[in-house]
Amino acid sequence: MSQKINLRVWLKIPDAEAATVKNTLVRRMGFGDVLYDVKKERLFSIEVDSGDPQELAKGFARELVNENKESYKVLIDELRFEEGYVPVWVALKIEDGEAISTQERLRGRLGFTSVVNVKRATIWKLYLSGMDRVAKAREIAEGLLINPHKDTYEILDSKP
Amino acid sequence: MKIAVMQFPGTNCEHETLVAVKAVGMDGEIFRWNRSAGELSSFDGYFIPGGFSYQDRVRAGAIASKEPVMQALKEEATKGKPIIGICNGFQILVEAGLLPGTGKIDMALAQNVMVSNGKIVRRGYYCDWVNLRHETPPRRCSGSFIMERGSLFKIPIAHGEGNLVTSTPKLMEMLNDEEQVVFRYCDKNGRIKTEFPVNVNGSTESIAGICSPEGNVLGMMPHPERAFFAWQLPAFDPRKQRPDEPGPGRRVFESVKRYIEVNA
Repeated sequence: MSQKINLRVWLKIPDAEAATVKNTLVRRMGFGDVLYDVKKERLFSIEVDSGDPQELAKGFARELVNENKESYKVLIDELRFEEGYVPVWVALKIEDGEAISTQERLRGRLGFTSVVNVKRATIWKLYLSGMDRVAKAREIAEGLLINPHKDTYEILDSKP
Repeated sequence: MKIAVMQFPGTNCEHETLVAVKAVGMDGEIFRWNRSAGELSSFDGYFIPGGFSYQDRVRAGAIASKEPVMQALKEEATKGKPIIGICNGFQILVEAGLLPGTGKIDMALAQNVMVSNGKIVRRGYYCDWVNLRHETPPRRCSGSFIMERGSLFKIPIAHGEGNLVTSTPKLMEMLNDEEQVVFRYCDKNGRIKTEFPVNVNGSTESIAGICSPEGNVLGMMPHPERAFFAWQLPAFDPRKQRPDEPGPGRRVFESVKRYIEVNA
């Protein structure tokens, strides 16, 4: 039976891309009154058909995470997020060459033969105030975070 | 005749673009993104050069497209003034909804995917000299105003996201029917091939450049300013030894000049 190892990876150092997104949303797109922060994570969802997922996850993290500048969290067969922000999952809907390369590298050169699939996404963590946070998150996703001709998105969760 | 060469943080072709503008007899200056957008109306035409505006954060062209100067350029576009986006400039025009020109984001310039014999042989950033075929009649588009339909020229590309994709129904049909496809990648004899290395980035229908319905806004992935002088050509091109000759990219700049003269 296959299992999915979700590897959430984020920068420990300041994330310039997230800062630019926040700046653009606040200064150029009118979200200054509802958006108070933006953070970002990389998400690897790695499907394996055998092996101890916790041990495999440690091995994947050694290859995919640079612990000098990044932190990570492993979730097996689930994807949970903390409270306080709206997580927006963004991924390519066209072929993702980097995900394919990652899968080939893990399976081939690095010897993780139990890997059967790798998917890659970006999680935008939108710290929003107000009552209509999901609607605002959708507006932000469609206004800046995706190009609908190549990307897809999903609002994963919204806790108060 | 005064041209604004737009400069965003991360633009890196503005100086050679300005040299090319001036070399065909137009005045020009580099226009920084944080200048008052209202000043743009005093220019007769605009180039958005290549580079990596805002480090391609989120995706190429996305952040620059939200700047106030882009809203000002939209207004100038409605007056029929020429706007030429090269490489990252093309990406910015697409993200701003200026191309294909419906005001919405109707397409994407996605990550390169090089296909040969039905298999993906390469992905991502690629730079090379490519052959282009001009697809529209003369005077259809500001940036190819003096070019004959079917004329060929060789200029360089250098990008990671030039793969034109769209999920807008019938967009490709519209682009073809309205003669908005300005340049296609082709082989040295002008034959269009859908696969790498002729189609260098996997772009739909081998498209390298498109214009707006009115023809004044052009976006193209290849870099005409890098083939403006013969001395810029690659070593294998015999014209390189004749540095006084113009390079093939010069015709884009001469076209803009002629377009402005005719439409003044």
